[in-house]
Amino acid sequence: MTRPGFVLDVDERTPPLLVHEGEGFRLQRFPLGTQVVYPPDPLPGIRDVPGAIREALLHPQGSEPLPELLHPGMRLTIAFDDISLPLPPMVQPDIRQRVIEQVLEMAARKGVEDVKIVVANSLHRRMTPSEIKRAVGERVFRSFWPGDLSNHDAEDPNGLTHVGVTDRGEDVEISRRAAESDLLVYVNINLVAMDGGHKSVPVGLGSYRSLKHHHNVHTMLNSRSYMDPPSSALHGSAARMGRLLADHLKVFTVETTLNGETFPSRFGFLNKREWEWSVKDQAMFLAAKRANDRAPSGIRREIFRRIEAPYGVTGVNAGETEAVHERTLENLHRQQVVEVNGQADVLVVGLPYICPYNVNSIMNPILVQCLGLGYFFNLYRGKPLVRPGGPMILFHPVPWEFHQVHHPSYVDFFDEVLAETTDPSALEAKYEQQYATDPWYVHLYRNSYAYHGVHPFYMWYWGAHAMDYLGDVIFVGADRKAVSRMGFRTASTFADAMEMASETVGGSPRTTYFHAPPIMLADVR
Amino acid sequence: MGSLAEDVRELARGWRWTRRPLTPESAEPWAPPVEPRTFPTNWARTPPARAAREAILRYAFRPLVWTETDPNVEGLDHLRDLSPPVMFVANHSSHVDTPLVLCSLPKQWRERTAVAAAADYFFDVWWRAATTALVFNTFPIERAGGKHATSTARRLVEEGWNLLVFPEGTRSRDGWMGRFRHGASRLCLEYRMPVVPIALRGTFAAMPRGRSWPVPGRVPISVRFGPPVLPEPGEEFRSLTPRIQAALSRVWEEDRTTWWESLHRERRGEIRPPTGPAGPRWLRVWEATRPPPRRRPPRIWRG
Repeated sequence: MTRPGFVLDVDERTPPLLVHEGEGFRLQRFPLGTQVVYPPDPLPGIRDVPGAIREALLHPQGSEPLPELLHPGMRLTIAFDDISLPLPPMVQPDIRQRVIEQVLEMAARKGVEDVKIVVANSLHRRMTPSEIKRAVGERVFRSFWPGDLSNHDAEDPNGLTHVGVTDRGEDVEISRRAAESDLLVYVNINLVAMDGGHKSVPVGLGSYRSLKHHHNVHTMLNSRSYMDPPSSALHGSAARMGRLLADHLKVFTVETTLNGETFPSRFGFLNKREWEWSVKDQAMFLAAKRANDRAPSGIRREIFRRIEAPYGVTGVNAGETEAVHERTLENLHRQQVVEVNGQADVLVVGLPYICPYNVNSIMNPILVQCLGLGYFFNLYRGKPLVRPGGPMILFHPVPWEFHQVHHPSYVDFFDEVLAETTDPSALEAKYEQQYATDPWYVHLYRNSYAYHGVHPFYMWYWGAHAMDYLGDVIFVGADRKAVSRMGFRTASTFADAMEMASETVGGSPRTTYFHAPPIMLADVR
Repeated sequence: MGSLAEDVRELARGWRWTRRPLTPESAEPWAPPVEPRTFPTNWARTPPARAAREAILRYAFRPLVWTETDPNVEGLDHLRDLSPPVMFVANHSSHVDTPLVLCSLPKQWRERTAVAAAADYFFDVWWRAATTALVFNTFPIERAGGKHATSTARRLVEEGWNLLVFPEGTRSRDGWMGRFRHGASRLCLEYRMPVVPIALRGTFAAMPRGRSWPVPGRVPISVRFGPPVLPEPGEEFRSLTPRIQAALSRVWEEDRTTWWESLHRERRGEIRPPTGPAGPRWLRVWEATRPPPRRRPPRIWRG
């Protein structure tokens, strides 16, 4: 029995607490009475993962067993989640590799020869060959790359099919190969509650024409939160699209969930509660922090990039999308949900070095905003962790840095669009279409390793709910210029940030520190 | 009647000048056959010997083998769901096979793996026995069989050691896979041990019989681990041996073509053990020394 997550009240005996701040971490003292939300301990992983996968494929939910769906002469397409999952990348073999290998073994036994494997990268950057090889394993990669294993191209005029329009007028356009297959097997990793379900196929294999119906400010403002699918307009839209697709295409979904083993043993202290640190953990913290603080930024980034999570697999479910996703969410909640009583006046978070869009890349200011106001703020069920109009304090240096290959449109978005307005609705109306259809961004998306031109807009919309809800956003220890470009404020120290927050909430606010990662989902009562 | 000189000459013919006269075999008194003495190797698995072996393999053999040849190791992920003891089974055509497999294994597997070595070859003199036992953690196997042929192997499995076995019993003379002996299967069945097949391609080209150093030119070598073969309840060694050989052949085929192609060939029953083309020996050697393709992209900058 693993320990559930819990809420700690900071008292005199509470040691300084670990706070992530980008490619670094610090120990921070919190005011007495601060509530600290800790994630549950990692659940034990399944011991026989291949057996669990086989069981899921042979006894699926709401569908015939996979071997019965396979026959000679059919067209089989396998799509899988891209580099944005899991975070950090998991120790090999990746769970996607294990699932895909078993699907292919069954297909081979049934004499299926026409097989294509597609990275469901949507409008994300293409995965490099080495990244794909890492995800699917050497056997699959050498068998299928490059002819039958490729990235999805959401801008290929000949590679897309308009499947139809939902009853709310939403266009459903996905990969032609997937749409024309006899069977589409989707292999997912459900790291957070937002992932998976009907969001997998219509989004992962969709196009801008399709995505714009739910990746917009209006939908995001009505997704409260998008980490809680029943309360999320984003998921409502994706579900309508998914159901329409299910009428045209047989989809066999395989969803997997992981436990909370986010950091390898050498960074074991990052997985532990501070008062349980051994002498070795303390020594490791000191050594890691000292070395990290002194290392040049390039080396520091490289060290963090090489972190591989020793995740255990907590569940594998397969079959009909909705039946599968229900079980997946149960599994996920078993690992991640923490009950929290009441909302705080001030919410404090430490942002780590990685988010879904900067794997093997740089976390630029827009992605910092997305991670903080998008992901972390929305990791709740019921009500946000902070009361309406309350301030949010975030730890991150927010360097004014961009990856020129991966994020070219982000550079222009930051320099041109945010310089004019930070209002999501205003910039959506004025600039989105221009960026989404810019031929140079389209060219880079299709031929280089660039995120789509419209992607920085989506990242900004991701934080729209938080921007609308919060009274103030304060970054501690950040680049003042970069933060002010985004319309937020900067404090040198946490004490200064609390001082600034007191303008909104008074001198003795009820403060909550959300102690993540590992990822958790606050169930606020 | 002969002369004295002739009699002396006749006697001298039966006299052994350098040794004492031999008793004819049929006139020897019966004595129970003497079991060959087993060379003690327990000392090679003590902590100091293990530490020395790890240092030798990691800092001497691995750089040496990886410098002189160009190995490509794949399929180690199959070990993820296994726990010791397992039996590694590989085809055998070179003295480089053993260090190659040991250095390919992750440390936690390597330090718990012992290697079966022919008693009559590696354990004939003390210095050779001691050296191989220290460096490769070998233990003797009587190739001719006998009551104690696998007694050390049994004890090692009971103590939780993985075994590396070359079931062909000797190095291939032409680079192709030979007939598998049943000893490995018997042991697996007795202890319900999983068998991990390892296909070694290119080692014959790199260092065939008769050579004591790899050929120049960094010959590409492929080391490919396959999925484990599990003994089935009630299975006999006569059926397990061909299953192990078939699994190894499938892994060989996977390396030669692709994993997907090998699955299809397996379904169609087209996979045969890699016994090489029929024909004269020179042709078989010619084909066996054809190196596997280099899998890594060529280096752009050459220093």
